[in-house]
Order: sequence, then C-alpha cells, then structure tokens
Amino acid sequence: MKIKEGFILREVAGDVVVLPSGDLEINAMITLNETAAFLWRAMEKEITREELIAASMKEYNVDEKTAAEAIDSFVEQLKTNDFLAE
Amino acid sequence: MLQYYKIAGLTVRMDTFGRTLEQAEPYLCPEQASVDMEIQIPEIDNETLHKEQPHLSLAECEYINTGRAFYSCLLDFNALMLHACAVVVDGKAYLFSAASGTGKSTHVNLWLKLFGDRAVILNDDKPTLRLEDGVWYAYGTPWSGKYDISSNQRVPLAGIAMIERSETNEIEPFTGSKAVFQILGQTLRPRGTRHRMVLLELMDKLMAQVPVWKLRCNMDPEAAIVSYEAMSGMKKENG
Repeated sequence: MKIKEGFILREVAGDVVVLPSGDLEINAMITLNETAAFLWRAMEKEITREELIAASMKEYNVDEKTAAEAIDSFVEQLKTNDFLAE
Repeated sequence: MLQYYKIAGLTVRMDTFGRTLEQAEPYLCPEQASVDMEIQIPEIDNETLHKEQPHLSLAECEYINTGRAFYSCLLDFNALMLHACAVVVDGKAYLFSAASGTGKSTHVNLWLKLFGDRAVILNDDKPTLRLEDGVWYAYGTPWSGKYDISSNQRVPLAGIAMIERSETNEIEPFTGSKAVFQILGQTLRPRGTRHRMVLLELMDKLMAQVPVWKLRCNMDPEAAIVSYEAMSGMKKENG
C-alpha cells in the first residue's frame, strides 16, 4: 500500500497539514492528527499492512488488534478520498 | 519607462506606464548595481487581459500584471502578500483579512473614525508581509485597491484578524490548521512543489510569531473598540 504522489505534508501552526503539490488547485487542505500523520508518513513509501501494524505497535505500544483497527480505518478513509495509489 | 524602485525592502527594476508608473512614484530610488526583481510586462499580456476584461484599460491591465509579477516573486524573499486592509496605529500594523466584500475596508473605516489622525491606512488591499531578522513587518506597495490608498512605510506587524460578519462583536485567538487554511485562501497560492513548501514554512513562522484572530463583527463603532482592545492589548481610553 502506498499514498499517491502529489502531496506535500508539513507541520504548520502545530497541526500536520497536507496540500496538493505541483500545480493543482489548493481547494482543500487536510489536517492529520498524530496517529494519522504517523501512518501517512509511513505510507509514503510502499509498505504492507503487516509492516504497518508492526510499526504502529512499536511506536504506540499498543496490541495488534488496536493497531490493526486504527490502520484499517485510516486506509478506508484514504480509499474514500482517493489518496491511495493504485 | 524603466526605473528603479525600493518596494518592501526589495530593489525592483520596473519598466511601466500608466497607473503602475503613477502609483509607484513614492517608491522610486536611485539606480542600483544589484537588483532583486525585474518587472516588465510584455504588451501581449496586457492585451490578452484587456480582451478578457474589456472594461479594464490597458494601463489597468498592466497594473494588475505588474502587481501579480511582484507578488509571485515574494516567497523567495521571506515575504508574502495578504488580501487584507492594513491600518497603522501608534507605530503598529493591524491587518484585517477576508474574501472580497466581507467588510475589511468597512471595519478599518471604523478604526479611522475612532482614532482620527492617529490611524493611517498602510495598504487597503494587498499589503506585503515580510520576515526580516526575526521580525514580521507589513509594507505598503504601489498595488492597492481601487482608491489607491497605500503608503510607502514599513511597520511592525502586531496582528492579523480574519473577519466574519455577525450580529454581535466578538474576537478570539484563531490557531491551528483552520487559521492556516483561511489565511492561505487570502494569499497568492503558488504553483510548484518547492514554492508550496516555502509558503508552508513561511506560514508556520508567521503563525508562531504574529497573533491571528477570528473577528466576528457588525458595522457598529463598538466593533473597532473590540478588535483594537484585543489586538493591541490596550484599553481604548475615552475621548
């Protein structure tokens, strides 16, 4: 799994924001909470669901089930908003 | 006519006519060896804009094009433009920003009524904001609104208020990504990844150092007292 190309991510004014890069219109800006920002950054390169779960468990000291739920929910949102690369 | 100007602390070599030439006169400076920006609009660009908007004269089209050329280079100089009305009181600049028609100028006019000569408009439409040696300043430029209200000054930036019309007058600090997004809506959004990153970095520095406010206001004189007292941290004494 991987996030599409074409976004820039930066912390601004204490929030992590995502804008389209390049020449696309900036009609909307996404704000990522801490967990989402962590997952987004991890998914900027190709990564498997299992690797992502392992990384979350390590980062947040949670069990597999908790990590998996958060990740699946996040990936679902990415799909809905068309942020996931094919 | 090709001349040298000092605008927002930058040396600009500009070849212009019409409204730009007139409005830029207070910014003239002696010829310089090194130049930060070169502005010369090809005739065809003015003609193209004129065809698209025939109610604008060629001189007005050039004015729009030179302004756009200036503002699009600012990010390389730790600066950005904000669609705002900037008023100066007691040596500090207060900016009121919103989409056109919301009431920036109306609100600033309340400040003018409240303070009389003590308040001066720095730029009524597009002040330049620039970070210099760790301090944010607001500058007047040759490019202002339809009434040509601008003054060639650099003033420390005390605060930015994003305006919304409302029944009552309220002001509160405006922080985080919501504030960032609103401010982004009132500045020139550049093309290209590198410039977008630069803009976000600059916005981060702006939000860290300059108080940003959400001002909900009506058109009563009280609105100016509410915004002034919050943004200056001082009470408006009577009289």
